[in-house]
Amino acid sequence: MKKYIPALIFLLFIPGFLQAEEFLGITVPPDSQTVSSSDDRLEVKTGLSHDAVLAYYEKELKNLGDIKYREWSDQTYIEDDGNRPWHSITISKGDNQTETTVIISRDSWTWIIGTLILRFVGVFVVLLVLFAGMKIYGLIIRSIVKPAATK
Amino acid sequence: MSSNEILDMLRGILYTSGVFNFQFNLIIMWLIGSFFMYLAIAKKYEPLLLLPIGFGIFIVNFPLVPLMGYSNGHAHLLEVFYHYGLEWEVIPCVIFLGLGAMTDFGPLIANPKTLIVGAGAQLGVFVTFTGTILAGFTLKEAASVGIIGGADGPTTIYLTQHLAPQLLGANALAAYSYMAMVPLIQPAIMKLMTNDKERRIKMKQLRPVSRQEKILFPLVTAAIIALLVPSVVPLMGMFMFGNLMKESGVVARLTDTAQNALMNIMTIFLGVSVGATMYADNFLSWKPLYIFSLGLVDFAVCTLGGILTVKIMNLFLKEKINPLIGSAGVSAVPMAARVSQVEGLKYDKTNHLLMHAVGPNLAGVIGSAAAAGMFIAMFD
Repeated sequence: MKKYIPALIFLLFIPGFLQAEEFLGITVPPDSQTVSSSDDRLEVKTGLSHDAVLAYYEKELKNLGDIKYREWSDQTYIEDDGNRPWHSITISKGDNQTETTVIISRDSWTWIIGTLILRFVGVFVVLLVLFAGMKIYGLIIRSIVKPAATK
Repeated sequence: MSSNEILDMLRGILYTSGVFNFQFNLIIMWLIGSFFMYLAIAKKYEPLLLLPIGFGIFIVNFPLVPLMGYSNGHAHLLEVFYHYGLEWEVIPCVIFLGLGAMTDFGPLIANPKTLIVGAGAQLGVFVTFTGTILAGFTLKEAASVGIIGGADGPTTIYLTQHLAPQLLGANALAAYSYMAMVPLIQPAIMKLMTNDKERRIKMKQLRPVSRQEKILFPLVTAAIIALLVPSVVPLMGMFMFGNLMKESGVVARLTDTAQNALMNIMTIFLGVSVGATMYADNFLSWKPLYIFSLGLVDFAVCTLGGILTVKIMNLFLKEKINPLIGSAGVSAVPMAARVSQVEGLKYDKTNHLLMHAVGPNLAGVIGSAAAAGMFIAMFD
């Protein structure tokens, strides 16, 4: 009987083992080790490859709207535009295919303000380029039209 | 015919009538629709749009009316307008074609530095974005609410349909309502932001603009917009095409159609189908209230942004710009330019600012389209 006790204890805790850990309402990849953690950010390392972690999150987020995937040279960036507690999941593409770093972070006001300032400046840039374009073609047209008129 | 058959028939008639399916929240929507029709008819506030929008709200909020939705696989009348006109983003672009065919860009070409005012007046769009997120909207919804301050109806509808179609009715209504109320909203901010000396600044008469310059303007603008913010080319491309038709002078019939018949048809379809998106079940919530209050803040900050931009520009310019024309940077063509003219005349009867204000006014249209492009790029 004694030899069955550890097995019974294990079976008792199976639901706990199966339930994935969550951070800001999104699951953390299985078999991952926490590197650093705060209220706004969690960094973990997992033995899974980058592609496996990406496939894991693609499956997890399949039914959610307003999710954007960005492929960068060194990482895949998953961004939420749907006002969820988490804002981004960054999956690094390390050289070592057997260890991947995953960072889950909360929406930050730095990001919001930053993107707004950049885009406001962007509107100025568009209109400044148009201003420059109008100045240039205006000068050209006036230099062509005036001599023609005097002739 | 037996009495049971007669009773059954009567029951059938009753069950398929609106009376039997009546809900009290519909009365609120009738009142909202009637209020906008009242503003259009009695107050003449943007009647071309508020009247069809008001009627759309009114008529769609009767039980069982087959106007929005599908029966037996067939789309209802207003659903067809909405689907092909708005979901396909056709109507805002065709309206821009008509607007382009009506617009004279001469004042902007003569004084291109007023383009900067059009950019500065987008300040409220970005400030409101932040406020909208704080109110619990998603990022896409926040962008679509923010653009209301750009005071450009078709751009607001285009962006909202693109990012947050569930807010289309409330956003369009807020945009057109506040555009109609520009003469009520702006003067107080203009007075607050300027001193007596600034309000009396007289600007040099604008130079005449050649036909060649006017013909080249839509081509240059379309090319620059297409290179920098391609996502709004459906809007700006049509706007510039309409203007090219007008300025070329060789397609008078097409220009006339774009300015009148086509524009009017699109306006009818736009107004009624926007109004028809506002059912009691999805409209009566806290969100439209927030949109209306944030829209007002948006307009105020955009006006402030335009005036502030002129004041900053004046620090560097030899020939000063009257800051009263800064408020026209919010778009709302030509209402905002007229407000600048009226306010200018209050302080100097000989100071006519209308033509000077048309420059920032048109720059506002391009600026709000650029802002919309920035938002689309953020999410696509």
